[in-house]
Amino acid sequence: MRRLRALEPLAWVGPAIVLIAVVVIWPVIEMVRSSFLEISRFGVVRGWAGFANYDELFAEKDFADIMVRSVIWVVAVVVLTVVISLALAQLFNQRFPLRKVARWALIAPWAASVLMTAIIFKWMLDPEVGVINQIRLKLGLIDAMGGAAADQLGNASTAMPWLVFVAVFVSVPFTTYALLAGLATIPGDVYEAARMDGAGRFRTYWSITLPLLRPALTVAALINIMNVFNSFPIIWAMTHGQPGYSTATSTIFMYILKGSDIGESAAMSVINFGMVIVLTVIFLRVSRWNKEVA
Amino acid sequence: MNMKLVGGAALGLATVLVLSSCGGSGGSGGDTPAAGDGAVTLKMVAADYGDGPGKPNSGETFWKGVVDEFQAANPTIKVDVQVINWNDIDKQVATMIQNGQAPDILQTGDYSGFVQDGLLHKVDEVLSPNVSGDLLQKFADFGKVDGTAYGIPFVSSARALFYNKDLFSKAGIAEPPKTWDELKAAAQKLKDAGVTQPFGLPLGQEEAQGESFLWMLGNGGGYKDASGKWAINSPQNVETFTYLKGLVDAGLTTPNPGTKDRKTVWEDFGAGKVGMVNGGPMSIPIFDAAGLKNYGIVPIPGKTGPLDTTLGVMDWIMAFNQNGHAAEIKKFFDFFYTGDAAQKISDTYKLLPVTNGGIEKLSGDEKLKPFLDALPNASFYPFQDPAWTSVSQSVKQTVGGAVEDDPAAVLGELQKTAESAAS
Repeated sequence: MRRLRALEPLAWVGPAIVLIAVVVIWPVIEMVRSSFLEISRFGVVRGWAGFANYDELFAEKDFADIMVRSVIWVVAVVVLTVVISLALAQLFNQRFPLRKVARWALIAPWAASVLMTAIIFKWMLDPEVGVINQIRLKLGLIDAMGGAAADQLGNASTAMPWLVFVAVFVSVPFTTYALLAGLATIPGDVYEAARMDGAGRFRTYWSITLPLLRPALTVAALINIMNVFNSFPIIWAMTHGQPGYSTATSTIFMYILKGSDIGESAAMSVINFGMVIVLTVIFLRVSRWNKEVA
Repeated sequence: MNMKLVGGAALGLATVLVLSSCGGSGGSGGDTPAAGDGAVTLKMVAADYGDGPGKPNSGETFWKGVVDEFQAANPTIKVDVQVINWNDIDKQVATMIQNGQAPDILQTGDYSGFVQDGLLHKVDEVLSPNVSGDLLQKFADFGKVDGTAYGIPFVSSARALFYNKDLFSKAGIAEPPKTWDELKAAAQKLKDAGVTQPFGLPLGQEEAQGESFLWMLGNGGGYKDASGKWAINSPQNVETFTYLKGLVDAGLTTPNPGTKDRKTVWEDFGAGKVGMVNGGPMSIPIFDAAGLKNYGIVPIPGKTGPLDTTLGVMDWIMAFNQNGHAAEIKKFFDFFYTGDAAQKISDTYKLLPVTNGGIEKLSGDEKLKPFLDALPNASFYPFQDPAWTSVSQSVKQTVGGAVEDDPAAVLGELQKTAESAAS
């Protein structure tokens, strides 16, 4: 009887453990295993490859550029998203007429399919008929439609900022709402006390709001880091990583490789997986997530 | 809070699992119909040339027509056709084969991958000599691996130069170009007349390997040399891309060609914004739908004269040998090639026939004529080479760089890819 009681917790956590084992751990093991196999285009395993897939991957001319670009992409998108969301959350935390409408409106980019958003931006940037270029033409920023100047997605130096913009655009709503929820948990009497002590607005924000917002901020940033690193639809729909590989991140590169060499693609996935873990650990270290607020 | 998050995520994942497993079983259900009275059921998988399920030109509708007629003539044979779209057919067929559920008949874009694993019937086991004799010889030859035919050409397509007659007369160009010099001069005139894309040049992801090949042919080049070795960075090809780079630098093409898909450029041509573009029979419906009426079709200009060859594209039909239905498959194939099914494909999808008889029947069609004339002397991708798949992938991704940066360097890199994939 006693032994049975000891097993009772297992009945409660068991399903969760099984689920994690099946949908998290097993795919990771399969992924790592595939990266050491030689696999034909039709998915037929031809045999053990050792480290050949990794050797091929590291020998790719564009590999280093792609990894550096992936890190820049993540840092740029997440930093911009968080900064903009902090400001928006502050704004939406104030009372103003039609606040409800504004809050609802903010959900739209989040609710819409990311792929659709990306395709719509691609259309708006179309060099022949895109509405953004029509506006730029009216403003005198470009001379004519259809030329190289109107083709911002065709060139890495102008395409990259647009990709970052769209990624920020779709990430801001979730981040803002996470921060809004965080703001709602800060008790009003702390602010009252700060006012009594004569703290100014900036001082109040810096010493009270931000530290108390840290748990929400950490979670929001962390989820964004993983999401953005694995982000696929925006870049794929807007540029395919082209010209060449000059707008490709490691996730895009992994997908392109899948068309010709599944093993090498799996090797890229393993590197990608490692990168997410490394970035996450660095972030958690920097943000001292487990330190109590003083 | 953490626990709740995990719980929510777990619930979400469980839902996904349940949903996806439903999706999985839906596809494989009902593929073992009872065939009583000694009747044989042939399982066939085909690609969809139409606009998908429910559309009037869907593959389901087309094959139902063919199969109904066949079954009326052969009551002991049932044909069960599963139509799959082009994006998924490779993966789904691979899954069927891995699960030991190979179809009897497969119609898709490639056959050579299955030969290595010994999965296919030889053509002479499943096709009568009078039918195989009527196939265009050059096409049938591409169905052979090491001298034995496994793939049967199903439909084909060719390419030619489309030009917008209204824009040409507006720019004061009397005749469509025949040589590269004439092409450049015509493009310059079009540009002076205010055409934003004098020449539509799609070297992006979608079909850069085709557009590149057309240009290589214009200078006696290609992906391989006469001896069958990879020759992507041959002097001819470098010269070709240097010429193209000149066009791009002068602003005579689609801007940033390396990022433009064929579909977009064809739509721009249909909208009257492009002076000239390489296209095929399958682009005719797109131009018609966009409302463009006044265009001409001529052979593609080469360096010193119009091409006497063009890019031919072929799809295949093949028979798998796992279920031992060779005799029944033969009846179906013979029925398909001798009846009017092939012509129906051409009418519905503007694809070209692969038999001498089929070409004769279509010779009255004014718009298809330039393509039909080009077919017997078409050039093909080196798709019998196992390395072609990865070469094609790399070309799609990077060949656009050859008209932006240094042609020799970009082509050299592709050559290296080809050589290392071949070893």
